[in-house]
Amino acid sequence: MAVFRLHGSRVLAVDLAGDAVKAKNGAMVAYDGEMTFKKMTGGGEGLRGMMTRRITGEAMAVMEVKGHGTCYFADRATEINLVRLTGEKLYVEASNLLATEPSLRTGTTFTGLRGASQGNGLFTTTVEGTGQAAIMSDGPAIVLRVSGAYPLVVDPGAYVAHTGQLRQQLQSSVGWRTLMGEGSGESFQIRFEGEGLVYVQPSERNTIGGQL
Amino acid sequence: MSVSAPGAGPVVFDPYSLPSNDNVNPYAFSVELDGQWFLQKGKMIAYYGQVDFHAIGHGPLDRLVAANFHSPLHAADWVVAQGRGKMLLADRSYDINSYDLDEGNLTIRSGNLLAFQPGLALKQSIIPGFLTLIGTGTFVAASNGAVHFVEPPIRVDPQALVGWADCPSPCHHYDHAYMRGVLGGIRALTGIGGASGEEHQFEFSGAGQVLLQSTETLMGEVNTGGVPGQAGPGVPGAGAGR
Repeated sequence: MAVFRLHGSRVLAVDLAGDAVKAKNGAMVAYDGEMTFKKMTGGGEGLRGMMTRRITGEAMAVMEVKGHGTCYFADRATEINLVRLTGEKLYVEASNLLATEPSLRTGTTFTGLRGASQGNGLFTTTVEGTGQAAIMSDGPAIVLRVSGAYPLVVDPGAYVAHTGQLRQQLQSSVGWRTLMGEGSGESFQIRFEGEGLVYVQPSERNTIGGQL
Repeated sequence: MSVSAPGAGPVVFDPYSLPSNDNVNPYAFSVELDGQWFLQKGKMIAYYGQVDFHAIGHGPLDRLVAANFHSPLHAADWVVAQGRGKMLLADRSYDINSYDLDEGNLTIRSGNLLAFQPGLALKQSIIPGFLTLIGTGTFVAASNGAVHFVEPPIRVDPQALVGWADCPSPCHHYDHAYMRGVLGGIRALTGIGGASGEEHQFEFSGAGQVLLQSTETLMGEVNTGGVPGQAGPGVPGAGAGR
């Protein structure tokens, strides 16, 4: 049973006892014990998964880490957040996913226009099952609850991941003033409705709609 | 923040548990919006409630802008958030702090100011690249690393300067000792022999407070509009397609 724990906030330590975890390719910074690293072509989702990722552009370079001991992962000093899943589905960008337990399945899903507004493409990665996943954010992620009584609106550049039964829609307020060059800078937003959790980072990645 | 217990869940916020006009963590600030706030474009990361964003220019908020916003140079970078709800502000995961002014004035580097209440009036400082806030109200500012308050007389590195409050008068200061003599002159002109990089400072005198950030690196402004492959290091999403 792999045990995920944070070492500080930017290093993930995984204790392994003969089992395997999936991690972002090249994210290992140190290990003790015996480890083997194996690049998994196409995210380790088989031939069909590989094709899907190739076609959707949601490329994910993943390695399988197997062995006995402790393995440390980190990526560009970004903050790492642990997410415990109990059967629900986590939606996260492939580039923000650091490591998953072997009991979790990964896949791709269509996000629609939201992905385009984030500059991340039209598809996103899903993680499903029971276990822990580690996701990365630029600055510690803030977890915001969404329920029927209070929907949440998020800037596409600050969105990292979400779980639960959430409907998302892109809301835009592009009007004639935007075309006149008087944009509000917040023209594109993702509105989440339903029940679930949304992870946002205190930073905005570059988005296509950023200046409008 | 050392080793966290396995399975310890993160704190989950909802509109009732989010702080009101206070920091959520060192990198994000929660505004309890009931009316209007001025904010710099792209610094809002999420909100609950009903909030509209209006560009600064001709529009329904003409009178508010006329009374509180006096910087045509920066008008394109600012918006007015109007409505009710909780709004989260953040900037490139810099440290975020809020400051209260009471009939006071404060001058700040324009890129470091995130938002301010309409009780304050924004004006351009006569120092290029700095903005002055005058009046009563709260404003939110970012700094690369924690902010330190120091009192004049002091000389500070231009890159470490965040702003200053009350009335110290800033001026440039150059160390010209290294220019003395023939060798010194050659060194100053060509840089051969080494310049320490610290020959130029801002000098403050008078009564007041000077705000410094704990780095000299002014991170480049976010080049908005770039595709993920072109984004800089440290930006999640930058590795997409690689």
